[in-house]
Amino acid sequence: METAMMKTSRLIRNPNMSIGIVLALFLAGVTFFGGAFVPHDPFQIDMNNRLQGMSSEHLLGTDQLGRDVFSRIIYGAKLTIGLGMFAIVMAICIGVPIGLLSGYIGGKIDAFFMRIIDGILAFPDFILAIAIAGMLGPSLTNIIIAIVLVRWIVYARVVRGLVLAEKEKEYVLVSKVSNSSSFKTIRMHLLPQVMPDIIVMAAIDVGKVILLISALSYIGLGAQPPIPEWGAMLNDGRGYFQVVPSLMIYPGLAIMLTVLCCNLLGDGLKSYFDIRKGRDGL
Amino acid sequence: MNESLLSIQDLYIKIKAGEKTLLRNVHIEVNKGEIVGLIGESGSGKSLTARAIMGLLPHGMNINGRILFKNSDLVKISTEEHRQLLGNEIGMIFQDYRGSFTPFIKIGKQMVETICTHQKVRKKEAQNIALQVLDEMGLDSKRVYLSYPFQLSGGQLQRASIATAISLKPSLLICDEMTTALDVMNGEKVLHYIDKVRKETGCAVLMITHDLAQAYKRTDRMYVMNQGEIVEEGLPEQIRCHHQHPYTKKLCSCLLALPGETLVTERVISV
Amino acid sequence: MSLVVEGLFKQYSKQVQALNHISFRVNEGECIGIVGESGSGKSTLGRILLGLETYKEGSITYHGKTIAPRKRSDLRQFRKSVQMVFQDSTSTLNPKLPIWKSLLEPLDNFKEITPSFLKVEGLTRKEIAQELLEIVGLDKEMVDRYPGELSGGQKQRVSIARAISIEPSLLVCDEPTASLDVTVQVQILRLLKELQKKTNMTILFISHDIRAVSFLCDKVMVLKDGSIVDQFELSEIYDEGRHPYTKALIQAASIE
Repeated sequence: METAMMKTSRLIRNPNMSIGIVLALFLAGVTFFGGAFVPHDPFQIDMNNRLQGMSSEHLLGTDQLGRDVFSRIIYGAKLTIGLGMFAIVMAICIGVPIGLLSGYIGGKIDAFFMRIIDGILAFPDFILAIAIAGMLGPSLTNIIIAIVLVRWIVYARVVRGLVLAEKEKEYVLVSKVSNSSSFKTIRMHLLPQVMPDIIVMAAIDVGKVILLISALSYIGLGAQPPIPEWGAMLNDGRGYFQVVPSLMIYPGLAIMLTVLCCNLLGDGLKSYFDIRKGRDGL
Repeated sequence: MNESLLSIQDLYIKIKAGEKTLLRNVHIEVNKGEIVGLIGESGSGKSLTARAIMGLLPHGMNINGRILFKNSDLVKISTEEHRQLLGNEIGMIFQDYRGSFTPFIKIGKQMVETICTHQKVRKKEAQNIALQVLDEMGLDSKRVYLSYPFQLSGGQLQRASIATAISLKPSLLICDEMTTALDVMNGEKVLHYIDKVRKETGCAVLMITHDLAQAYKRTDRMYVMNQGEIVEEGLPEQIRCHHQHPYTKKLCSCLLALPGETLVTERVISV
Repeated sequence: MSLVVEGLFKQYSKQVQALNHISFRVNEGECIGIVGESGSGKSTLGRILLGLETYKEGSITYHGKTIAPRKRSDLRQFRKSVQMVFQDSTSTLNPKLPIWKSLLEPLDNFKEITPSFLKVEGLTRKEIAQELLEIVGLDKEMVDRYPGELSGGQKQRVSIARAISIEPSLLVCDEPTASLDVTVQVQILRLLKELQKKTNMTILFISHDIRAVSFLCDKVMVLKDGSIVDQFELSEIYDEGRHPYTKALIQAASIE
């Protein structure tokens, strides 16, 4: 058996993964401790210092209301990244059990969930999220609900597919023959099999969801001013893009960096688990 | 008929990195029109030998020695020449019959394509050849010709792939565990037709298998391979009843007897 | 009569008849070989006996009790005394679980059973697993390993240990040696024979290898296209009255 240290070293040896991890650590630091180093109150309006450029006092300048952009981006990290992860966790909590049940038990339960999923999948998820958020009214809570409602499907479908492939394997049959309850068989044999795929998907999905939150905030359905969510900041800066492009560039860069980090982590984890799978197959 | 067709001499195969020797000092002779068995367990190097003959060794392996086929050394010739030989002179049949045909193209079309790439014949002639060899394999030639691979059973597919191989009239047929994925009856049928083809066309067969019963019954001579070395060779009765090497003994003792069947007369010798 | 199957009928679709009104009886402690080619319905029979598949007509009675498909309480009682060993040694164990966890699954589900060949008192679960491994001739140390580190024969031994852990009175083996090397096949067959003698369990041995069947079994049943075409004691294997298909099977396996 591999020791934990060998595992870690193999994980880090992948260049994608190591860059991803460095980025993730950086972002986590900013998210958790950034608040302590913020030079200014992100909500403090200072009309005398509107639309300032970079300076020692305002590292990334100020926005149209004189608020410090640097502070707002740091503060926004907590919001954007935190909400993105929260949405994914919720989606997994709903999607994975449904996928497991649907795949393992099949029959009417499967047909029922699959029809719902097919129905929802008929719409592009962004449009659907807009529709749901629009119906519920613009607020951060509502777009999170909208995103969870759209994203759980992906997990349910993937898990169902994996379970369908796995449940005819002989160890699952043996488990049945040993009189294990369906719940036990799922927990003992099927859940561990689908976990790696879920983790990889989730890592990449966090990036997607952050984009989605930002996009929804950008079109005004999500975070409402003065909340410094990155998408909302982009929206704020829109009117001044010609004069002070940095108002849009910095939040945009922040989003890009986060999404990049998620994708790198996802890719790295994927190749890590693929190697493991190959080894198990020997 | 004692003319040598394939002669493997002092064959060594090593992994470049690590200097691990996979095949050591392998000698195999196949004469014209002969069925030669190569038996051993998985991992003994049987399939590697076949791949060496076919020039299909994976990267990172060093090959030493001579593989003489009709007086040309297969170790030295270029990949291009090797490719010429494959199909035309040497046919190969694999264990996994599902892999021998592309799933989405009708079998007849694939056979015609194979025949046309290797031999200078027109499409019409190729079709006739294909139908004829399918007939020879005891298949309903018209139906098989128009079928997709998934519409046939394993035994039928394996016979179709043999048909494809012999349509090119090779002088050597290498069968790598070709009956392993089939059950006894289908395997028997496939072997029956291999025997028939051999008698009709005089092509030699190198039969790689781990099934001792088959090897005893079907081969003219057999080689026993263990851990990359040929440990014993001889006529089937010799291997069965008068084997010398401990490994051969172990292997032979693993063939379970049918009721009332004597497999080994070894006790007589030891007394 | 411990196991009685009457008129068992199973159809996958109109064209595909898996089992065509099969009836047979098995006595306590017997070893029955079920021989047939692929597609003869022999694996389906095994799966139905274990309640992994349902059937349309017919009945299965075990020790006088009828086993209805889809009735969970019946199945539980039945599975207490019936276990199965499967064909593919690569997928018979969950690759993500250490051996001992896989091994103890049946015992965990039937807490009331204490195998008579083990003195369980005072043993931890891992130690029980170690004892089980020793019974099938494996090293104690293997309990902590993962299936990926075991050879095919070792995995098959583990799955046999798992099957016999609740002391079933009926063991169904579906081609347990088909995926193994010749030398390993014999070892597994010897193990099964030895265990059968020790525990006096009934074995249904499904195989296409008539040599393996005649090594292990006292009675043979030949299945073809979902029907039983021949049924005989091993000693009568060369009788004139054998079905032509049986004769063909023997001929195919013989070395002359």
